Amino acid sequence: MADRVGTAEAVARGGAAGFWHAWLVRILPYAVALLAILAGWQLSALLFPAYLIPPPRKVFSRLIEELGRPAFLVTLGRSFYRLAVGFVLASALGIAIGLLCGIWKFFRRAVRALVSILQSVPPIAWVPLFIVLLGFGDAPIILVIIIAAFFPMTVSVMNAVEQVDGLHLDVARVLGADRAQLVAKVYAPAVVPAIVTGAQVGFGNAWRSLIAAEMVGGVNVGLGWFINFAGEIADMTAVLAGILVIGLVSALLDGLVLERLKRRLLRWKYL
Amino acid sequence: MEVPLNARSRREPWPKISIEKLTQSFGDLTVIDRLSLGVADGEFLAIVGPSGCGKSTLLRVIAGLAPPTAGRVRIDGVDVDGPDPRRHLVFQEHALYPWRTVYKNVALGLEIERQKPEKVKRKVAGLLTLVGLEQFAKYYPHQLSGGMRQRAALARALAMEPDVLLLDEPFGALDAMTRLTLQDELLRIWLDSRKTVVLVTHDVEEALVLADRVVIMTTVPGRIREVIPVTEKRPRDRGSASLAALKRTVLGILGIEPVIGNVRVPDTNFSI
Repeated sequence: MADRVGTAEAVARGGAAGFWHAWLVRILPYAVALLAILAGWQLSALLFPAYLIPPPRKVFSRLIEELGRPAFLVTLGRSFYRLAVGFVLASALGIAIGLLCGIWKFFRRAVRALVSILQSVPPIAWVPLFIVLLGFGDAPIILVIIIAAFFPMTVSVMNAVEQVDGLHLDVARVLGADRAQLVAKVYAPAVVPAIVTGAQVGFGNAWRSLIAAEMVGGVNVGLGWFINFAGEIADMTAVLAGILVIGLVSALLDGLVLERLKRRLLRWKYL
Repeated sequence: MEVPLNARSRREPWPKISIEKLTQSFGDLTVIDRLSLGVADGEFLAIVGPSGCGKSTLLRVIAGLAPPTAGRVRIDGVDVDGPDPRRHLVFQEHALYPWRTVYKNVALGLEIERQKPEKVKRKVAGLLTLVGLEQFAKYYPHQLSGGMRQRAALARALAMEPDVLLLDEPFGALDAMTRLTLQDELLRIWLDSRKTVVLVTHDVEEALVLADRVVIMTTVPGRIREVIPVTEKRPRDRGSASLAALKRTVLGILGIEPVIGNVRVPDTNFSI
C-alpha cells in the first residue's frame, strides 16, 4: 500500500524527476530482496565447501557459460514451449468456462463443486497417471500445466462474473442485447481485471508445476530435468544456475510481460 | 420560445402507455397495488412520491425488465413482454460502462442492433453535439463530471430513437446547478422530439417545471394519490407564483408542510 501511495504521489508530481522517483519506488524492493538473497547465499558459501554451496560468482559465470551452449538453449526453449502451450490452453479454457458459468446457473454450481474437489490435488500428483495414459514426452507435462493454470483462471473469472453490476446488465437488456451480446459486451469486458489476476496466479502455478513435472516426468530435456540431472551428478553449480534461471525468468515474465499486458488491457482504469 | 401544449391533439385511440390494475410484489411485500394509469402519446408525465413507494419498480415494469405480478402494461395496445430498444430506461446512477469511452457508450445500442459503422459514427457524432459532449468523445466515464455522465447516458438513450423515454431520477445525484441546466436541456430535447416521457423524481420542482401532469404516489404499497395537471406554458418560470402555489399543493399532499416555526420557506429548492 505504502509504495502504491508513493508511486501515485510521484506521478502526480509529474515530469522526469517524478518518473525516476516512481521507478525507484518500484525497483527498490526488488533490489533489497535480491541483495538479501545474495548476502545469505554468499554467507552460506563461506561456511560450506564449494562443492556443496558454490558462491554466487561461480554460479553466475556458469550460467553465462551455459547460455552460450546450444544444448542448454534447447532445454530452455523446450520448457518455454511446454509452458506456453499449457498456459494458453488453460487460460482460454478457464475464461470460457468462467464466462459460461455467468450465464448458466446450474453449470456454475457444477463447476464450483468440481473445483472444490479437484483444486486441492497438487497438479504434480497426476504425473504417474498421465505418463501411463499418454506416454513419456511433452503431453503429460503440458496436461499438468493446464491443470495448474486452469483453476485460478476459472475461479477468478467465475467470481467476477457473479459480481457484474446488475445495472450494467439491465442497460444492455434495455438496449436490446441478447444473451450472446450480454456476454460479449458486458460480461467479457467486466471480467478483464479478473482475467489478469487469474493469469498472474495461474502463471505462477504453471511455472512451478512445469519444473516439478520435468523433474519427475521422465523427460530428458527441459529446465526441471536439467536441475534434476545436475543433482544426480552432484553438480551443485548447475543446480543453482538452474534455480537462478527460474527465478529470473519468472520475475521478468511477470513484471514485464504480464504487468504491461495488464496496463494495456485495463487502460480505462489507469487513465 | 412559447410552445403550446398539444399532446392532446396527437392523441391516438389508445393511450401510448396504458397500465391496468398493475400489482407488483416481491415475496410478501406488495410494492405496487392495483395501479392504473394512462400516458398519452407525446406526453411528459412526472411521478413523485415518498422513497420506496414503487416508482422505480413501476418504470422497470414499463421497461419490460420485470414482469408484472398481476395486471398488465400495454404500449400502443400491445402487452409488454421484455425489454425493447424503442422504450428506453435511463437509470438513477449513471450506468455508463467504465471500460467504454463516451463515444463507445453512446454507440453501444447501435452496435447491438448491428448497424453499419458509418451510420453509427454519424449518429453518435450528432448526439454528442446535441448533449454538448462532442469534445469528450474519447474520454472515459470516470474522467467526466456527474452531469456530463448523465448527458452521455441521455445521448445513449436517444440513439435508440425510443418513442418512450423512461427516466428514473436521472438528475438525482447531481448538484443543484447542474440539475437545472440538465432539466432545461431535457426540456429542449423533448420539445424538439415530442417523445412520450415518464420521469420519476424526488424533486417536486423538477416535476412541475417539466411535466404535463404530475402523478403523486402513496407510500408502499404504491397507489396513485392524486394527479395534478400543469397547464402553464413552457418554458416555465421556476419562480412564478402559480408554480410556487402548485408546489405547496403537491408538498401538502405528500404531507410535507413547507413551514418551519414561523418562517415560511416555500421558495427554497424543497425536495423530498
